[in-house]
Amino acid sequence: MRSSRFAFTAAGGLILSVALAACGGSGERAENEILIAAIFDLTGPTADVGLDYAEGVRGHVEWLNAAGGVAGRPVRLIYQDYGYQVDRAEQLYTQFVQEGALIFMGWGTGDTEALRLRIAEDRIPFSSASLSHVLGDAHESPYNFLVATSYSDQFRIVLRWIAEDHRAHGGVGNARVAFMHNASPFGLSPWVQGGEDYAREIGVDVTPYEMPRGATDYTAEFTRIGQSGATYVVFQNTSAPAAVALRNARGLGIDATFVCLNWCANALLWRLADDAAEGVVGAIPWAPLTADVPGIRDIRDYLESRGDDYGDKTNAYTQGWWTMAVFVEGIRRVLDAGQELTGENIKQALETIDGLDTGGAGPPLTFTPSDHRGSKGLRLFRAEDGRWTPLTEVLTAP
Amino acid sequence: MESGVFHTDYRTDMGLRRVPAERLRLGLFAAALLVFPFLASPYWLNLANQIAIATIGALGLNILVGYTGQVSLGQGAFMAVGAYTSALLTLRLGLPWGVSIVAACFATAAVGVFFGLPSLRLKGLYLAISTLAAQEIVEWVVTHWPALTGGVEAVVVPAPRLFGQRLNTDFGFYWLGIALAGATALFTANLFRSRIGRSFVAVRDQDIAASVIGVNVFGTKLLAFATSSFFVGLAGALTAYYRNIISWERFTLETSVLYLAMIIVGGLGTIRGSLFGAALITLLPAMIATAGRELQQSAPAVAALLPSVQQAAFGLVIILFLVFEPEGLSKLWRNVKDYFYVWPFAYRRGEGR
Repeated sequence: MRSSRFAFTAAGGLILSVALAACGGSGERAENEILIAAIFDLTGPTADVGLDYAEGVRGHVEWLNAAGGVAGRPVRLIYQDYGYQVDRAEQLYTQFVQEGALIFMGWGTGDTEALRLRIAEDRIPFSSASLSHVLGDAHESPYNFLVATSYSDQFRIVLRWIAEDHRAHGGVGNARVAFMHNASPFGLSPWVQGGEDYAREIGVDVTPYEMPRGATDYTAEFTRIGQSGATYVVFQNTSAPAAVALRNARGLGIDATFVCLNWCANALLWRLADDAAEGVVGAIPWAPLTADVPGIRDIRDYLESRGDDYGDKTNAYTQGWWTMAVFVEGIRRVLDAGQELTGENIKQALETIDGLDTGGAGPPLTFTPSDHRGSKGLRLFRAEDGRWTPLTEVLTAP
Repeated sequence: MESGVFHTDYRTDMGLRRVPAERLRLGLFAAALLVFPFLASPYWLNLANQIAIATIGALGLNILVGYTGQVSLGQGAFMAVGAYTSALLTLRLGLPWGVSIVAACFATAAVGVFFGLPSLRLKGLYLAISTLAAQEIVEWVVTHWPALTGGVEAVVVPAPRLFGQRLNTDFGFYWLGIALAGATALFTANLFRSRIGRSFVAVRDQDIAASVIGVNVFGTKLLAFATSSFFVGLAGALTAYYRNIISWERFTLETSVLYLAMIIVGGLGTIRGSLFGAALITLLPAMIATAGRELQQSAPAVAALLPSVQQAAFGLVIILFLVFEPEGLSKLWRNVKDYFYVWPFAYRRGEGR
């Protein structure tokens, strides 16, 4: 009895101290500091790519501040892991905006969708790692910006390439494609937002297959795919589940060309799938850190100055870095024009970005008041001997 | 001199609050609730609204699990039914939000009864598994019937309005939230003072004995499923209107487990336990995260480890509660009251209430 009473005092004290720490002010704020908020998935189901993305965003801010900030003003990034939970994302959004964040860096499709209307009301420019097509529609989502090719455009580019590749290899009739997607809005987004219609238009037979969350075996799916005679498999998922599926497919002797959209076409796929990743085609809007182009060299120099090995990082790092960079560009334009730094002004400044050079790290980016999809094109790569080798020139979405 | 509270008539003896101290506490609590939104920041209002919704959901689940002893893993599914029904009734048929919320509650009650049918033959863990099936089925229907539910895409719910004012702002919704949470608590408290409520408890404690004394066991279980789902549906419908946008990702098995955690940590079969549990499970991750952010600034080296530590801390707190106070926060509250009852003396005779 006595011991349990003691335990309770201790537990009570613990909770109280956590609560007190939580209520305490969040540090001193410099006068001219620019506050940017972010949520990352560091522990949830998409943490495999979320970790590198988060480091990319943070890395850019640190690199920027070391170089003197934006127009002489330092940037402070406040961020928190949200574990891919919509409720947490909403809580953190309210909290960060209340603390004065001007810009919000989101992550998943589900939570970005959930916040879409609120950010328009609050006038907070918002980028998500989610490249869902509808988020780039400036009429539907006026404050969302897509800092790469939308999932739907990626899928359409891949479908068109498949149709050509199929004919080039002497295929008769329509190409048969299995579309294996994450069981979420993220996974289905390229299919329902234009992919299905486009496939019908160009005569490619696509069957969607759901990849249940946390699955370790896809034998049932691949048996059906094998029977359907599909010769192409397109993944819309993150690296870890795609790698599991790839190993599974190779084990079952599935003879097909595998294509990874955005979030599984990275170095992590190699690490997890090993030989099974050989020959996989990747739709990659943002170059891996091994690419020797000006837009990547800054990142490599920064990482080397910290003593980090860039070889460990995936192109999710590039995507995080450059997403942040684009927003910083928006802020810079507002400050250079001598305007007040508000969400509305940043949005309008972003809409003046025309052909922003990303130094080869990604496609040039353009935003207009009616179109927030920064880019319509990307390059396809093929995995050969542990490297992503360019397979095509930059292809533009139909 | 009177040395205690003595009830001299049935009316006061059967009152919900029988002692002046209880009435005083309730008054203070109500006053605090009324003042709170004028002092709190939007962040705290947001959390308060989440707690209000969670309290309604937890009370609903407690009616079924805590009072009637039917373990349910279908909480997320029933919330989804409530949320989608109310959203779609407004969106497709143009019903006013008040009407569609009430309709959603009844629809969820009906669905609850349907998935409660296996309780005729199943008890305990076996029933839990059959409600797990309910969870999976509803999730599957929501994601695979796009014509009705919009599929995996999010559904945008029109903003509720009252007297021309938007009700789904943090401040506006607070009043709706606490009013409905209060009404639910009052209903639940009175339910278990009635014949029907007592028969729920009889079924929980010993169903054979209950049927011997004339309780229709199966009918009672179904009624418990209906009542419980009614409020769970209310919580779901409120989520839809508060958040404006709903998607199936909000109502997964994880939601079901979290709600079970709420009523277990709070205290099974108690009303204040539902409130305490809802508050703790909502606030704890938020508090841990905010404390973690403080560390980001003072100790950046630790910051990289934080996300995993946060998850572990959440689990640890729940385990500690279960180990040291299996009857939950509600019992803890009683211990505190008992302590102050005789303070500064150490002992007293008999049991306090």
